[in-house]
Amino acid sequence: MIQITDLEKFYRTEEVQTIALNKLSFEVKQGEFVAIMGPSGCGKSTLLNILGLLDDPDGGSFKFNGEEVAGYNERKRSDLRKHNVGFVFQSFNLIDELTVFENVELPLIYTGVKPAERKKRVEEVLEKMQIMHRRNHFPQQLSGGQQQRVAVARAVVNNPKLILADEPTGNLDSTNGNEVMDLLIDLNEAGTTIIMVTHSEHDAKYSHRIIRMLDGQKVTENILA
Amino acid sequence: MIKNYFKIAWRNIMKHKVFSLINVIGLTIGLSASFVIGLMIYYDYTFDDFHKDGDRIYRVVSDFKSPQGTFHNSGVTLALKDAIADNSNFESITEFYINRPSKVENKANNTEFKWPNFVMYTDEAYFNIFDYKFIAGDKSTALDKPNNVILTETRAKEYFPNTAPADLIGKTLVYNDSINITVSGVVENFKKRTDFVFEEFISHQTLLQTDRREELLERQWGNTNSDSQLFVKLTESANVVSIQKRLDDLALEHTDEDDKKYEMSREFQLQPLSDIHFNEDYGIYDWSKGQASKSLLSNLALVAVFLLLLGCINFINLNTAQASQRAKEIGIRKTLGSSRKQLISQFMGETFLLVFFSALLSIVLSKWLINVFSDFVPEDLSFELFKAPLIVLSILLLLFVVTILSGFYPALVLSKFNTVSVLKNHMAAGEKKVRLRKFLTVFQFTIAQIFIIGTLLVGKQINYLLNKDMGFKTDAIVSVYSPRSERELSKKELYAEKLRSIPEIKSVSIGSHAPASYSTNTTNVTYTNEEEIIKSEMQYIFGDTNYANLFELDILAGRIHRNDTVRELVINETLLKKLGFNSPDDAIGKALTVNDEQTPIVGVMADFNQRSLKSEIKPMALRGDWYRSQFSQFQAIHVSFHNESSENLKSTLTKIEDAYKSVYTETEDYRLQFMDQTIETFYNREKKISKLLNWATGLSILISCLGLLGLVIYTTNRRVKEIGVRKVLGASLFQINTLLCKEFLLLVAIAFVIATPLAWYGIYSWLQDFTYKTSISFIAFIVGGAAMIFFALLVISFKTLSAANANPVNSLRSE
Repeated sequence: MIQITDLEKFYRTEEVQTIALNKLSFEVKQGEFVAIMGPSGCGKSTLLNILGLLDDPDGGSFKFNGEEVAGYNERKRSDLRKHNVGFVFQSFNLIDELTVFENVELPLIYTGVKPAERKKRVEEVLEKMQIMHRRNHFPQQLSGGQQQRVAVARAVVNNPKLILADEPTGNLDSTNGNEVMDLLIDLNEAGTTIIMVTHSEHDAKYSHRIIRMLDGQKVTENILA
Repeated sequence: MIKNYFKIAWRNIMKHKVFSLINVIGLTIGLSASFVIGLMIYYDYTFDDFHKDGDRIYRVVSDFKSPQGTFHNSGVTLALKDAIADNSNFESITEFYINRPSKVENKANNTEFKWPNFVMYTDEAYFNIFDYKFIAGDKSTALDKPNNVILTETRAKEYFPNTAPADLIGKTLVYNDSINITVSGVVENFKKRTDFVFEEFISHQTLLQTDRREELLERQWGNTNSDSQLFVKLTESANVVSIQKRLDDLALEHTDEDDKKYEMSREFQLQPLSDIHFNEDYGIYDWSKGQASKSLLSNLALVAVFLLLLGCINFINLNTAQASQRAKEIGIRKTLGSSRKQLISQFMGETFLLVFFSALLSIVLSKWLINVFSDFVPEDLSFELFKAPLIVLSILLLLFVVTILSGFYPALVLSKFNTVSVLKNHMAAGEKKVRLRKFLTVFQFTIAQIFIIGTLLVGKQINYLLNKDMGFKTDAIVSVYSPRSERELSKKELYAEKLRSIPEIKSVSIGSHAPASYSTNTTNVTYTNEEEIIKSEMQYIFGDTNYANLFELDILAGRIHRNDTVRELVINETLLKKLGFNSPDDAIGKALTVNDEQTPIVGVMADFNQRSLKSEIKPMALRGDWYRSQFSQFQAIHVSFHNESSENLKSTLTKIEDAYKSVYTETEDYRLQFMDQTIETFYNREKKISKLLNWATGLSILISCLGLLGLVIYTTNRRVKEIGVRKVLGASLFQINTLLCKEFLLLVAIAFVIATPLAWYGIYSWLQDFTYKTSISFIAFIVGGAAMIFFALLVISFKTLSAANANPVNSLRSE
């Protein structure tokens, strides 16, 4: 599904150039659950942003479903992203001004789903995430765990092929963290590919494969199952 | 999607209540001003736009040119109509004569109507040019005989109450006690806005039975009366240039020898129908309504544009300043697949919502504003105009433009955010955006400063005009005019005698108008000395032997005329100089040729202003009432008081009116004018400008300061941690306040530097209209600048002091 070869990303300031990704290569197959680990600043989040088509690489190749997407313009990336990729962030990134229902509904609006169908699908996913009773609440009225469940609901409501999770349990206590990980496992078992960036060895163990990075390069790769 | 946009827009508005309020207030003020001013423009520009083929209808008017300038007259000589009658460029030509009868009687029910207004003598062609709807009578025959009249529905109801229009045909009215006139038609009044306010149309031949008979029969080229109006309707293929050429030729052919001698000439002009409502040179028919002024309307429009711009600037500044608060939402939306176009639409939608809300408020506010600006707003301008399709369309267009102006740049800025950066919370205020905000703030304060300085200096000039010595006594003087129909001098003398017996009255004089008035009576004079012949125009004022004394005119040499009928002149200094005399004494005993007769100069009076101080002093002479046996020029009785305390004055005025009633029977024509009030009316337009400027200044300060407040709140909130740290490190309240204020006060100071030359130039140009002008005092600039800094400081300190006073523990803990 994902194939990256010699991927490069640099950050430049006026005087210094920092290498965030240094000729990184790996592949992720359809239905896999991959965890990416490494110390702060090793390039994990940069990688995730590129995989999520939020950022452009400076060099190398990035194939999504066999198609070269490095160098796509913003409109094409946006189009590909909204139909194929769901995001779960450490800090949930819900829109404070929208209710739970409206937050989950948002990706469907951008993919042009009709209102009746939207309502049905949002309700289904909220039921599945056991957050239906909070549908009219605003994010500030929810606990961290509940907020992350809403974020997961939002990530999956469009049935994306790929979910990118950036420290999904980073802001949660262990009970809520485990619940979120269980949700991701369920999704993965249902066929969704998941790439998760994490600092937590505990969370990484839920995955099939752990890629460890340092200074923008892959250092090890452990297959768990 | 749209619903989602509006939902989030509404929630955002509610979440940032203070900023939303600032935006709404700014936009509401700008929009209200635009609505009211827009209505006024629409009102004035839709006068007489309903006449069929209105673009082919013209009034022919006369311009008289002389070395002294151009004099305009809305009338033409009666001879012109015959001279152009066979010109194929005209589809119709009509002449009408405006004349107000002193009395109209309906003998059938014994009612009489004094001085009915808007009466004209005309012919069928008038109704071919102007499309009146006939309710009774036949258009083609109604005016073909003498002694016929067509009445409007309104006038018919006055003269013949409770009578159906059809039953009015054949009824008789008696005009001026002697002329029997039969009603031959009734027309509907024009339903739309019009300057053609006429109510009675008498057949043109009837004029032969009035004192205009001679004039009508002779139809002399040299005689022009503003009551004689000529209208033409051109054919579709008419050539305006060739018509004008023909009119020019006719004017040239019929130039009087005397006019040539004095280098005077006449021109006929075609005045388009659409110009009549605006052109003050030729005027409209209902003077009480006041003429619309294109320059006033454009000044008003400019004020509206500035106020709207200030509102839009607040919006841009506050929204770009707050952008970082929306960053997260933008990042998420982009992540979830929103395109930049969709984001721009979303933010434009939000802007539109706010603009729309402001527009609703503005419509309500406009009703109130129409009252506040009653000096500018015509009486019959109604709120109903808001329903006019063009107005609705214009409002929608305006909302669209304001939405684009206010919302597009912030939308562009917000939608440009880099998704990755904003989600990582790596937001930095771009230097460019900060610079733009500073620039816009400077722009706002520049406008506000110009308004402040303008207000101060216009006020100073008006004060100067009202208080400058006119050269004669202006306070504690009233003028009472005798009835218009009253020609007899004996009654005036009787009235003057009665007034002299009132003990509170100091002095009484019979004469024409007061030394300064709207009326002029001008003639040409020649003075022949040993070397040359000097020609000049000369204005007259007519007064009895007490006139100069009452108005305290300063006699520099000689004396005033010996009595009211002797042919003698008291000339002013301007004429003295024009005629080449070196000193007042030199002129005494010399004679001027006036109307081919030698007239001696017996006195020289000091110059005084005959009109407003906008105009120069003209050559003038005071004289008596030489031709009183044929036509008396004495129309008014001037009265000065011993003292003008308000209680005394009230009872004296009652006595003056009682004396009037005991002499004259036409008591409804009682006209009394205070000299100082007449002088004030010279400056009505300036006072209007001053009032407008006061409002514009107040509102521009309000909008600009609100915008500044918004920026200060935002900046202070962002610097809360810095303030906390500084306080912990020992900064005083004053030091912190200075730190926070410095940046904003600098902007106000820059605005002052920019505004000063602009305001100076504006005021300098405006003052060029006045012959007598106040100095452009630098104090006004300093006061203006200080006032602006004071207001700005007040607004800034309101927030910064509370921020500087806050306990630093709170701000540091929240980190």
